[in-house]
Amino acid sequence: MKLAEKVVPFYFGSPNKLLFGCYHEPTSERRRNCAVVVCQPVGHEYINSHRALRQLAARLCDAGFPVLRFDYYGCGDSSGSREDGTILQWLEDISTAISEVRRRMAVVQVCLIGLRLGGTLAMNAAAERTDLESMILWDPVVSGKGYLHGLLRLQKEMLRFRPKPSTAQEPQGYLDVLGFPLSRSFRAELEKIDLSPIAGGPAKNILVIQSGQMSSEVNLEKHFCKTEARLVEYQRFDAPQIWRPTSDGSLLVPSQILHSIVSWTNRLHQ
Amino acid sequence: MREEAVLFGETKSLVGILTDPPMRNGNHAKPAVILLNPGIVHRVAPGRIYVRMARALAAMGFVVLRFDFSGIGDSAVRYDNLPFEKSAVRETQDAMRFLEATRGVGRFILLGGCSGARISLQTACCDPRVVGAFLINLQMTENEDQNSDHITRSAAFYYWNFALFNLKSWCKLLTGKADYRNILRALGFQARTQFTSGGKMSVESIQLAANLRMLAERGACVTFLYAECDPRLNDLREAVGRELKQLRTLGNVRVQIIPRSDHTFSSLHDQEKLLKEICELIDSVTPVTAGAPLNQHHDQLPQSVQETLPQHGGNSAGCQGTRGS
Repeated sequence: MKLAEKVVPFYFGSPNKLLFGCYHEPTSERRRNCAVVVCQPVGHEYINSHRALRQLAARLCDAGFPVLRFDYYGCGDSSGSREDGTILQWLEDISTAISEVRRRMAVVQVCLIGLRLGGTLAMNAAAERTDLESMILWDPVVSGKGYLHGLLRLQKEMLRFRPKPSTAQEPQGYLDVLGFPLSRSFRAELEKIDLSPIAGGPAKNILVIQSGQMSSEVNLEKHFCKTEARLVEYQRFDAPQIWRPTSDGSLLVPSQILHSIVSWTNRLHQ
Repeated sequence: MREEAVLFGETKSLVGILTDPPMRNGNHAKPAVILLNPGIVHRVAPGRIYVRMARALAAMGFVVLRFDFSGIGDSAVRYDNLPFEKSAVRETQDAMRFLEATRGVGRFILLGGCSGARISLQTACCDPRVVGAFLINLQMTENEDQNSDHITRSAAFYYWNFALFNLKSWCKLLTGKADYRNILRALGFQARTQFTSGGKMSVESIQLAANLRMLAERGACVTFLYAECDPRLNDLREAVGRELKQLRTLGNVRVQIIPRSDHTFSSLHDQEKLLKEICELIDSVTPVTAGAPLNQHHDQLPQSVQETLPQHGGNSAGCQGTRGS
């Protein structure tokens, strides 16, 4: 499939905390009046899911949606070091990205799409505002403690076939998760994450996507039923968890999920 | 230091980040450094190591470009049916042309991991503007690992080279705590591989040896950097082990092994060691001024690199720093 898209890489935000963004610009005749902002996961999950989110952006762009993918401060190509990232900073980055997309594309309606911790951040950012048209949460992290537990388990699993690094080699104050440092303060921030107190409707329309049958997270469907959020649709797919490392180093693109997201967004913004 | 998002290439569809050093004058003597995608991972690389490399090298005065080949990361797909091996070399040359036009640099050092290392080598062989190449865990052939997944290969390599000599591993084996099925599968794989290779030199090995000789004669500096736990290290030894011994005497070919690290340098300590190694070696490719000590920029290494690592030959909890093979 040949997709008509123009990709513009650029930096935006405040000069001392520049964020990297990739703007996918649709052709003018197909352009819709709703822009999509993609909130990516962090750490190794960001690396593993980049390919899928880039393809998602291309498909949405082909359907006429202007799309902005961006990296949080201290992540990807954005300024700052890996140790600088905080939840508060990243929430601010999402607001900066929303402002940037509105300024650059001159659109009013904005849809947030967030994968894993990106979904959690998107939901928290959206809870602070009332101007979001729609939101798609793709396997969001519901419990920070569960997420942290999963990261540590994966780190242990990845060390199976290599000599174990001695504790003396670990940078002081940081926990090593697949080459990304987790500071004590960041761990404390993660542990506080819990989507259940968010009871308001963070966006007018919400789609929740869950991959796989087995999940270490709490059942999202039950969770969202308890909140006051207006849950438009809940979809479960028998699809791989693309943010996890694969045995052959490949990066997975779950075509079925991408297709579903584009269809839902299309239906909503016709 | 300044980072700029750029688009370049035949159709201006290759996405890259250009990192300029803090201060740069018109008579810039240093070659520019180009970082090539490690496999299909985008230009940030596992552990965000390419971003750190670019910033550390820019702090040392190098212009650094990290970019995505077409169809990888943010760069658009090509529609001319050119095979990856050819399009990637061509796009690396596009990157060189772009840096020549925008930064006035005419000499280049290529650095890449896995398949990025292979493209670095291929480009170096066909383009005399390349004065140095850092090949990290070089993937010997385009189609390697077709018959086995990476984990089985790594497991076999680990059991054969590390666990076999580890008391704890033997204790686990004898007390029934080991994963016997995994061990048998991994050892079977290792035995099969050794049996089928039969010590013969493959076409790729002969080609690699010839390329290295050609680059050494041209004066280009080639540095192999291998993670000690990467099975590809064995591939290199089997392929050109004898040739390497001879080539190293010419002075332009080096092999450095990062102890106890894995293919993607997936621990913070591995990454620091890799970064430090590259920062220390890169100036020796083309010293800024004749007679200047090669480590003159050591004080400009990122603070975290200097503080975290033991010095060469130092001993930090069993780690003996980086060593040559």
